[in-house]
Parts: sequence; structure tokens; C-alpha cells
Amino acid sequence: MIPLLGLLAGIVVGIVLEPSIPQVLQPYLPIAIVAAMDALFGAFRAYLEGTFTDRVFVVSFISNVLIAAAIVFVGDQIGVGSQLATAVVVVLGIRIFTNAAAIRRALFHA
Amino acid sequence: MPDEPRIDEQTQAPSVRRRRRHSRSPSTASRRVSSLRRSQRRLSGEEHPTAVAPDDTSPAPQSTSRIKEAADLARGTRARLAASLRHPGRGQIVAAIILFVVGAAGVMQVRISATDDTYASARREDLIQLLDGLGAESRRLEGEITQLEQTRSNLQSGADTQRVARSEAERHLIELSILAGTAPAEGSGIRMRIADPNGAVDAGVLLDAVEEMRDAGAEVIEVNNTIRVVGSTWFGSDDRGLVIDGKPVSRPIILEVIGEPHSLEEAARFRGGIVSEITGPKIGGQVQIEQENRVVIESLHASRENQYARPAPPQQTPR
Repeated sequence: MIPLLGLLAGIVVGIVLEPSIPQVLQPYLPIAIVAAMDALFGAFRAYLEGTFTDRVFVVSFISNVLIAAAIVFVGDQIGVGSQLATAVVVVLGIRIFTNAAAIRRALFHA
Repeated sequence: MPDEPRIDEQTQAPSVRRRRRHSRSPSTASRRVSSLRRSQRRLSGEEHPTAVAPDDTSPAPQSTSRIKEAADLARGTRARLAASLRHPGRGQIVAAIILFVVGAAGVMQVRISATDDTYASARREDLIQLLDGLGAESRRLEGEITQLEQTRSNLQSGADTQRVARSEAERHLIELSILAGTAPAEGSGIRMRIADPNGAVDAGVLLDAVEEMRDAGAEVIEVNNTIRVVGSTWFGSDDRGLVIDGKPVSRPIILEVIGEPHSLEEAARFRGGIVSEITGPKIGGQVQIEQENRVVIESLHASRENQYARPAPPQQTPR
């Protein structure tokens, strides 16, 4: 319940206050969001499986986001930024689907 | 990957290892079954090493235990969800903070891509290429603008020249048609009435009068309101009497002249001039001269087409 309230509060703050991030970081925001979604799904899965630890969650969240952004940054530096971004999105998408399937099994056993 | 289950097996179930030494084929089969079950349990999230059933159990109790496990699992998951809804812990607060961040970032990203979805997400090389294309296009268009402006100024000056030439030509045409007697004219001038009771005014006298008027700056001359005097006008006499351009002249003769009225009158009246000649004893006529502000001359000279003379091309001016 509290996490959902946190999500709603984040959306409301984003809409009302219209925060902006530095121009330099803007290309990495979408990738970071996808990585964050992956971490969230993984956390929910771990929670349903009873292995959730907030320390692991925080560390995995931050490291996922940072690594995804760093991969795209390095790709930009060596000239394959768009391809690496696609690769990161594909891999994270596969992980999100896997996690979603596990969540579905844990919740509905189907 | 195939190594992993064996390690698990060796650490967790030493009995299996023993049995495998004795009989090869049944032990590999059971090993596979046990690893499958373990991975299933891992997937479903409940790892209970103590609850692992022995490898050599018969298939029937195995399946019943799996069903029971699943049911326990479902109950456990839901119960944990309900419990966490009632008693939120530290983990939920951490998750809430992180979800807050994610929600804000997501909204931010959606807004960014909604406001400028064309260029904000474009990469640097694409933007440079785009910029290059735009620069080349604008250079091309600027060249076109310069060319068109030049064309426009050319056409404008051409049109101006043509307009000036046309108005000049029209002015010339008016002047020349007045001179040639093909257009009516009006202006200040004099009206000279020559009474000639003896009929003694002949062509010579009339020509003298016209010449005097021309000397005094007459621009248009008309005789008797019907005959326009132009450059080719001739004076003569035949059996009808005095004729000008083949038309008879009735008495009294009226000369209408456009020019400077005062100098015209003076030119007529000076001693030994046309007035004294006509009023002299030889002719015995009378002359009346009126200065007019507005003399209207409406009679026209019918110009003949030139039979031999043609306009010559203008001389080339030497450079």
C-alpha cells in the first residue's frame, strides 16, 4: 500500500512541480526508467517469493539504473549509442517479462 | 549449467552419490527428477532443503506432495500480501521512496518526449546531419532569393525605362500632332479680322501675314475657322478667287492664332507691317485685332501618306 502511495505521489509531484533534469543526463533517462522498472518487477517477484530484502532492493535498483545509463553513455562515446540502448532495452524487456511471468505464477499459479 | 545440480546433490544428498556407484542407470534418472523438482521450487520461490523428498520415492506420493506444496505456496503468498498490507514494514517505505523517484522520472520523461519528440531524443550525429541538410537548403534558397531579386530589379528598371520612353513619346506625339495640325488645340492668342471690301488681299498678302505671325512665335494658325495652316499649306488663287490648300477663302478673312497675344499683335501692327499694308491705299481694307485668353482651334489638317519619304533608321552614335 505504501509503495503504491509513493508511486502516486511521485507522479503527482512530476506533474505539478514539473522538475527538469540536466540536459546532459536527458538521453539516459529513458534507459534508466526501463532499468528501474526491471528492478521493481524483480523486487515484487522476490517479495512474493518471500526473499525480499530492502537492502538488496535498493542496491540492485541503483546499480541497475547506473549500469544501464553507463552502458548507453559508453556506447555514445564509442559511436554505437543507439544500438547499445536498443540492446539494453531488449535485455531489460526480457527480464521484465520473466519477472512478470514469475509474479503471475506466484499470485495465480497459472 | 549441468554442473550445478550435481554440486547441490553432492552437498545435500550424500546417499545419492553412494547409490550411483552401485547402479548407474536408475540413479541418473532420479537425479534428473530431483534437479527438476528443485528448479521448480526455486522458480516458485520456496526453497526448503529440509522438505526435499527422497529421490527414490515412488511417483504417486511425489505428485501429491507437489500439489500440496503449490496450495501451501498460494496460501502463504496471499497471506503474506494481506499481512504486509496490515503491517507495513521498513521495506515498504524504501520501496515507496524508490517508486516515488521512478514515478517522478517517468512523468518527466513522458513530458520531455511529448514536448519535443522529434529532436530531443535524436542522437548527435543525426542532429548534425539534419543541421547540414538545413544549412545546404538555406544556402540554396538564399541564392535563389538573390537571383530572383536581381531579376526583379532588372524587370523593374526595364519597366521604368519603357514607361519614361512611352510618356516621352506621348508628349512628342501631342506636340507633333499640334504642329502637323492633326489635333485640335487651344490657348491664348489673337483673333485678326481682315475686311477686304475691294477684294485686293491676294495670296501674297496672306502669306506675308502668316509669316509675320510665325516670326512672332505663332504655334497654331487657322483661317476662317475652317483651314488649319501647317507646314505644307500653300496659298494661291484661281477663278474662285483666293484659295488655301485648295479651299476657297471667303471675305472677311479671320485669322485665329495661338501664341503670345501681345507679341503677336505687335508683330501685326508695327510700321510697315501687315496692318499698315492692308490698310494702305493699295488694298484699302481694315484690320481688327483682339487679344484672347482662350482661342480654340478645332479644324484639322488631313495629312497625306508620304509616297516616297520613309523614316530613316537613327544614326549609330560613335563610341
